[in-house]
Amino acid sequence: MKQRRIVVTGIGVVTPIGTGRELFWNNLLEGRSGIRPVQSFDTSAYGVHRGAEVHDFRPENYLSNLDAAHLGRASQFAIAAARLALADANVEIASLDLKRAGVSMGTTSGEPREVERFDDLFINKQLDRVGPEFLKLYPTHVIAAHIARELQFAGVNIMIPTACAAGNYAIAHAFDVLRSGRADLMLAGGSDSFSRITFTGFAQLGAIAPETCQPFDRYRKGMIPGEGAGVLVLEPLASALRRGARVYGEIGGYGLSCDAHHMTAAHPNGDGAVRAMTQALDQSGTRPEEVSYISAHGTGTSTNDRLETLAVKRLFKDAAYRIPMSSIKSMLGHTMGAASAIEAAVCALAVFHDRIPPTINLEEPDPDCDLDYVPNSARQHTVQVAMNNAYAFGGNNASLVLRKCEV
Amino acid sequence: MRRVVVTGAGVVSSLGDSLDALHSALCRGHNAIRPVELFPTETLACPLGGEIKGFDAQKYLGKRNLRPLDRTSRLLASAAQLALDASGWTAEMRGNQEVGLILGTMSSSVRNESEFDSSALEAEPAYAAAKQTAILHNLRGINTTISTGNSSGLKAIAHATDLIRSGRARSLLAGGADGLCLDSFYGFDCAGLLCRSEHEPGDFPIPFDARRNGLALGEGAALLMLEDAELAKERGARALAEIKGHGCAYNRSPGSEESSVQSVASSMRRALDDAGMVPSEIQCLSASANGSPKGDRHEAQAFVVTFNGNSHRLPVTAIKSMLGETLGASGPIQALDLLETMRDGVLPGTINVAEAEDDFPFPWVSTVRRKIDPLNGLVNSVGFDGHCCSLILARGVESPG
Repeated sequence: MKQRRIVVTGIGVVTPIGTGRELFWNNLLEGRSGIRPVQSFDTSAYGVHRGAEVHDFRPENYLSNLDAAHLGRASQFAIAAARLALADANVEIASLDLKRAGVSMGTTSGEPREVERFDDLFINKQLDRVGPEFLKLYPTHVIAAHIARELQFAGVNIMIPTACAAGNYAIAHAFDVLRSGRADLMLAGGSDSFSRITFTGFAQLGAIAPETCQPFDRYRKGMIPGEGAGVLVLEPLASALRRGARVYGEIGGYGLSCDAHHMTAAHPNGDGAVRAMTQALDQSGTRPEEVSYISAHGTGTSTNDRLETLAVKRLFKDAAYRIPMSSIKSMLGHTMGAASAIEAAVCALAVFHDRIPPTINLEEPDPDCDLDYVPNSARQHTVQVAMNNAYAFGGNNASLVLRKCEV
Repeated sequence: MRRVVVTGAGVVSSLGDSLDALHSALCRGHNAIRPVELFPTETLACPLGGEIKGFDAQKYLGKRNLRPLDRTSRLLASAAQLALDASGWTAEMRGNQEVGLILGTMSSSVRNESEFDSSALEAEPAYAAAKQTAILHNLRGINTTISTGNSSGLKAIAHATDLIRSGRARSLLAGGADGLCLDSFYGFDCAGLLCRSEHEPGDFPIPFDARRNGLALGEGAALLMLEDAELAKERGARALAEIKGHGCAYNRSPGSEESSVQSVASSMRRALDDAGMVPSEIQCLSASANGSPKGDRHEAQAFVVTFNGNSHRLPVTAIKSMLGETLGASGPIQALDLLETMRDGVLPGTINVAEAEDDFPFPWVSTVRRKIDPLNGLVNSVGFDGHCCSLILARGVESPG
């Protein structure tokens, strides 16, 4: 039997540089940065003070069934992105068989603000104030569950918390679910909210940059924590054609691997990253030189950017120098579990529009990072095949291949 | 489509750390529910839980640096060692071939102290356990964590099954782990989901009983080694069981009884369809029932819907009556105990059950072990949060295909 072909027909994003596909994409191509002084909490106890937060977000604009007061911020972002993606795909919820409509989401920290509230009560010896709502607010799985409850989706529902690569894992899972015929339509992506917990963790590791995020720059100083959500509408090509949907691109395949090396340091040879990219190319039947754009993990830390460059060169050989590879984290910061989902949306848009967003703040080339990072301005470029790379602490590597959908 | 077999399993539970020990404790009706000692419980309505007393990961992992591993990670890494040993995956083999890990876990914050330290990102988030275990055991294949409450573990097995069926992976450890943790315990207690016992420990929880008033939390880790049947045969591994099918459903309207029953029934129906089976081919069932007033009733009603009036003849057990609700570990522990039942033909009873509820759709539950001879069994996970997952296992065959 021929494999079902799975396509992206809708994109919904909530990001530090704009909510909604159009605004986000325009700001991305213009190289706008969402990095500002942190407003969510007081950072005076830290040595660093900047982050990429989503401002002016109004959850009530996206909620018809659930109450924002009973939802954590990551769930609110996720529902907004899901509604935006469905609207972008021109899908009427009433027209769906809801038993065959599913949700697959990734995250790094779940609903960290709810956990922080618990922590504060614990420290202040006020655990008697935890309240009956806590269990409905904090567990990681509530993000996908809340989307389903808001939209009344009764199909597959799954949460994959594989940290900073989680969005790619969730999209890969949805791709498998659709290919095996377990659903007609999947919402897939990732969501994370800005939190003290995440900020503290990265600050303690010395990984946060003081001013801004400069992936691949010689004087890069680290990553910038961010927040947001990205959700894609995925469906079989046949159903997209039947309803005359706009198709951004086709999911070609994916690769997943684990370094099994160290919790917060990547494998020194980029071994796991190479295995993930190789599998993604193999599964999608793509030769390395056919890749026309790589969306880099590109966090802006010294190690990540160097090792990522090394891994791409190991796999793509000479072709590596001809393939543009940019990091939108230069503008969005690192939106954690949402990052690779938003970046997958960018790959779909790059494939659709033949435009590539830049890596901003790239002023001084690094001898160890000598590829074409699309410095500082967007580029017109035919994007037949895009590869979305994501790497997480613990060495979870996920690569996704998207390509133009030829019917 | 490739067939998927179980070539070994590992478990760390409050009733034993081997399949044999756990199964015989369950068959003898031992109850692990006791006052929790891991953290203070004075302000809680329910101080009872299925804690693994005196758990020491070094017993399984030797003298390695376990400091960065929280309790869930230690339970998982220990179960992984046991499963690797049982299935014959030596360190040398793991160096040559990729073994992956698909973990189901609910805990997203497993800290007993809320002070931040530099290991915050290593020990806390839900994904940490799977990665720490991959590092300890050199598991270089796919490493995925799934978090859907107490169905997480079965969903991990289902996901791993699909990955092997489609040829994406050949050998995967799959299952679940959750350590007792302060945050979850308070969450469940404050939500009013834990049992309130006015009697001595040992009487609660009581799945399916008229007096049931909540669940008791437990802890543990259980992993199955899943392999492509052909490749397992090539390497001379023994197939303890075959994964025949799985299904899941999400209850989008938890307040509605009809929707709740339907989602459990859909989950079982999808598993049957996936396995290419009819209901009468299921000869025993390991229920998710944990003593929760609504959940147990909905699951029982779903049995009636699914098994076409024959549900009263189906041998059912609810081992959470003895282990408590071990969340991510629960489904895999049930699956693993079902392997033992298929091997020795003894199904554990559901302890403490004494009073049948009026109009309860499913009155017939044995409180003691039974001799049965099942070829196929079904395992259920039904979440308090709307997630349902079902898995169908078949007794091991020496030569699959």
